[in-house]
Amino acid sequence: MDEALRFEDEELSLLETLDHVLDRGLVIAGEVTIAVADIDLIYLGLNVLLGSVETVNQVLGGREQRLAALGVRAPSDEGGGR
Amino acid sequence: MSLYVYCLGDGLTEAALAGVRGLNDEPARLFGHAGLVAVVSPFGEAPVPVTRAHLLAHNRVNAQALASATPLPFRFGTLTTEERLASYMGARAAGLRAALARVRDCVEMSVKLMRETTAEAPAAPPADAGTAPAGTAFLLAKRRELLGEERERRRAEELAAWLERRTSDLARESEVRVRPSESIVVRAAHLVVRARLADYRERLRALRAERPDLRFLNSGPWPPYSFADADVTASGCE
Repeated sequence: MDEALRFEDEELSLLETLDHVLDRGLVIAGEVTIAVADIDLIYLGLNVLLGSVETVNQVLGGREQRLAALGVRAPSDEGGGR
Repeated sequence: MSLYVYCLGDGLTEAALAGVRGLNDEPARLFGHAGLVAVVSPFGEAPVPVTRAHLLAHNRVNAQALASATPLPFRFGTLTTEERLASYMGARAAGLRAALARVRDCVEMSVKLMRETTAEAPAAPPADAGTAPAGTAFLLAKRRELLGEERERRRAEELAAWLERRTSDLARESEVRVRPSESIVVRAAHLVVRARLADYRERLRALRAERPDLRFLNSGPWPPYSFADADVTASGCE
């Protein structure tokens, strides 16, 4: 890969990836299905983490709201789908 | 067997993706329909666990695609079938082509701003607050709280406007989110033409030097996640 296309800070790459890919990008209606089974990965790099935590909370909160609207009880994070 | 979908474009080639492995170490390949190509790999049953390995794999494939063209990235966890993907690409072909034209030759750069210094302490209560009746004291406290929130909101908006002013000549477009009450008060995504990336990076270095009271979190280049509309309008029947 071109030098110009590398992350500027490797330590940020995973957290920034999480922050970008969870709630942005193209969506095929009804076909995004994730399970937050490895949630501890967001506890890396405390200094930069808060953005990602907020993103995850928004995603999970949105999932719970949608399930509540459907009258379905939200599953636990372990293996829970969205 | 489902298909995991990474991104979609009109200039992607098999050669550009040669050797790249996606989720579960499956080889990424192209799926073409309606003059567009999506990058996919086989995947088992839903849901897709949000693991480090899967995030890195999703990112690895999209980064490889970004190295040769600017694709529209799909949201993490998009699982579908060939039939449904073809239906999506066919029904939304015009909208997807317009979205690709919007981001062509560009990459997304991310800037997050945090205040390095702690927020100012709330204004001290007036001298007579201690002697005010309980109801009055409550309302005075509430007023101070609201004024503090308003001050934080105004400061965050000023920061966002400053960043926008200082980068607008180098960004084709920008998406800015202001969150005065959060740790990261401004989140900006800039759509930057590849040929101007060096200028953009230099500008950010200058902005860092100009504002030592801020902490900058920069990353990129990314595929244009913030400029790939989540729900491209269908142009025909699905």
